[in-house]
Amino acid sequence: MGGDQLVATMQPTGGSRNLYSLYDWRRPEPKPEEEEVPTHLNTTTCGHFLVISTDKLSARYNGDGQHGHDVGAIQSNRPAPHQRLLYYFEISLKDRGQRGVISIGFTDENFKMSRQPGWEPNSYGYHGDDGLLYHGRGRGDSFGPTFTTGDTVGAGINYAAQELFFTKNGKLVGTHIKEGKGPLYPTIGLHSPSEKVEVNFGQKPFIFDIEAMVQEERERRQRSVESVPLPLSISHNVVRTYLLHYGYQDTLTAFDVASGGTFPPVVVAPEGPVTGNDTESYALEQRKILRKLTREGDIDGVFAKLREWYPELLQSGVSLVSFLLHCQKYIELVKAGSLEAAVNYARVELANFFAVGSVEDTHLQDCLALLAYEHPEKSMVSYLLHVAQREAVADAVNAVVLATNPANLGKPSQSALEMLLRQLTACLMEKRYLNGGQGEIFTLQRVLQGGKDGGW
Amino acid sequence: MSSSKKVITKEEWEKKLADVKIRKEDMNKLVMNFLVTEGYVEAAEKFQMESGTQPDIDLGTITDRMAVRKAVQCGNVEDAIEKVNDLNPEILDTNPQLFFHLQQQRLIELIRSGSVEEALQFAQEELAPRGEENHAFLEELERTVALLAFEDTASCPVGELLDVSQRQKTASELNAAILTSQSHEKDPKLPSLLKMLIWAQNQLDEKASYPRINDLVNATLEDPVT
Repeated sequence: MGGDQLVATMQPTGGSRNLYSLYDWRRPEPKPEEEEVPTHLNTTTCGHFLVISTDKLSARYNGDGQHGHDVGAIQSNRPAPHQRLLYYFEISLKDRGQRGVISIGFTDENFKMSRQPGWEPNSYGYHGDDGLLYHGRGRGDSFGPTFTTGDTVGAGINYAAQELFFTKNGKLVGTHIKEGKGPLYPTIGLHSPSEKVEVNFGQKPFIFDIEAMVQEERERRQRSVESVPLPLSISHNVVRTYLLHYGYQDTLTAFDVASGGTFPPVVVAPEGPVTGNDTESYALEQRKILRKLTREGDIDGVFAKLREWYPELLQSGVSLVSFLLHCQKYIELVKAGSLEAAVNYARVELANFFAVGSVEDTHLQDCLALLAYEHPEKSMVSYLLHVAQREAVADAVNAVVLATNPANLGKPSQSALEMLLRQLTACLMEKRYLNGGQGEIFTLQRVLQGGKDGGW
Repeated sequence: MSSSKKVITKEEWEKKLADVKIRKEDMNKLVMNFLVTEGYVEAAEKFQMESGTQPDIDLGTITDRMAVRKAVQCGNVEDAIEKVNDLNPEILDTNPQLFFHLQQQRLIELIRSGSVEEALQFAQEELAPRGEENHAFLEELERTVALLAFEDTASCPVGELLDVSQRQKTASELNAAILTSQSHEKDPKLPSLLKMLIWAQNQLDEKASYPRINDLVNATLEDPVT
């Protein structure tokens, strides 16, 4: 579903202009599901030399630990989730066994379970017997302290920094660069007769304060964002052009009076013969009136004004704006409880719009579905009855009126604010994509709701 | 490194932009949050009526805050200080930097009105002692006093201090302090998001060449640098 499709079916009045702002009148999308996380050890692929507890959260080594290919390694049941800032898990060493050889780390799906994490390509392991960090080869680099019976050790991934980090008894030991973008599994490797380890995938509180680390990471990002210089006048102007764009004239007047002409209106359209003011405040008074009528649900009034001021917008019977207005008129009838009138209206006016385009069909079906419910306000299509739907229609009317301004030809029909938010989202999405799709997913809603934790 | 950068053409980028969903409701919330936080109570009321957007705090609490802001915007700094102290004397007591900026604004207003003698006296008696405590304050003070050296402030290198945007800056700082004292978020979200946009563009620059927006007010897409 893209704007292209909408534009293609709606040539008559919208011209070839994109109608981004109209996305709103479609049914709201369901929220994306939470990513699955590791919950226990994967007993189906684990090494031969391990005994796993019935809750699949502890492992004991029962091999001989004689050579490099009788390690008992085991991964978690699922890879570490990556749509977040950090992932972390911990192990507690209950018994070091005879030799105290133990490791914690991350490995990929091709990892051999008879080897230690860190020895194989694309695997990483912090080893307890020597305190070295192994990455992709049999020789380790000096890293941190050794660990043994009674110690709790953790391993994590910092997706923002593309680093792995390890902890011992609640303290950060160090970080190591992460290479590659594929999925990584939390992994432990046991290699000491009668060694015993418990794993914590978050089913109980961690010893290390992972929340504090998340917070720190967010604050670092926040500071880096806040250090960008930005004159306040830019925000003022963005708000101002937004109010102008949508025809919120009373707000604009109050805003201008209160800011005391502090910020002179910015001249839009540096090229071309039309001065900025003409583009900005084009048909402002008329747009304001049309918006007010729509918001009040007076659709007949909107039709009358449009016929008077912009008859060309309604001439073609199947224009997008007349479609939306007819639908809204019908919705208002349903809301008023005049079901018979609504049915008649649908037969006379809405039937023409069937098979015009798939986007319209969906909207039309939703509208007609209102009749199927005794309590439509509790149904799947209840969104149509909200004030927000009137607002969406008002925005569509506003957009087509703006499009009649010859100075606007070929220019995006969006407010600067909308363009900027699109650009912001696209940049962060692209950045995440180039990062192998790892890290938190930015959503504007999250910024608007929370904000305090600095999360996206 | 630059040779390995991914190049995204304008056409490709525009398609990505079109795929982004921005809800009108969210933009309205952003604007309402800006009006409320910056203290535009009447505009917020009108916006509530015109767009149906609910403000995130009781609009009544904005009125006092707005009176203070208005005083600074009109150049009545003394009046603003008095009003803030009526509201909560701790705000200025616990915030020496804000208090200094208010005094600095007062000095600017005296210079603007041409009261040279009064300005000098004020600078020496009220501001200089604070400059001794804090080096940054001293530099600011020197910068401000430099205004007196120019008959034609248009050619003055620190002439921007006389610009109305300086009043706006001081007013915003004061406003933020009052909001914090009322345990509200002190900053509107819109400027943060715009900063985030600049930041995100700079970050993406390292990995890809794509159409940037450099002119935020007009929001025009540049051609990608190749």
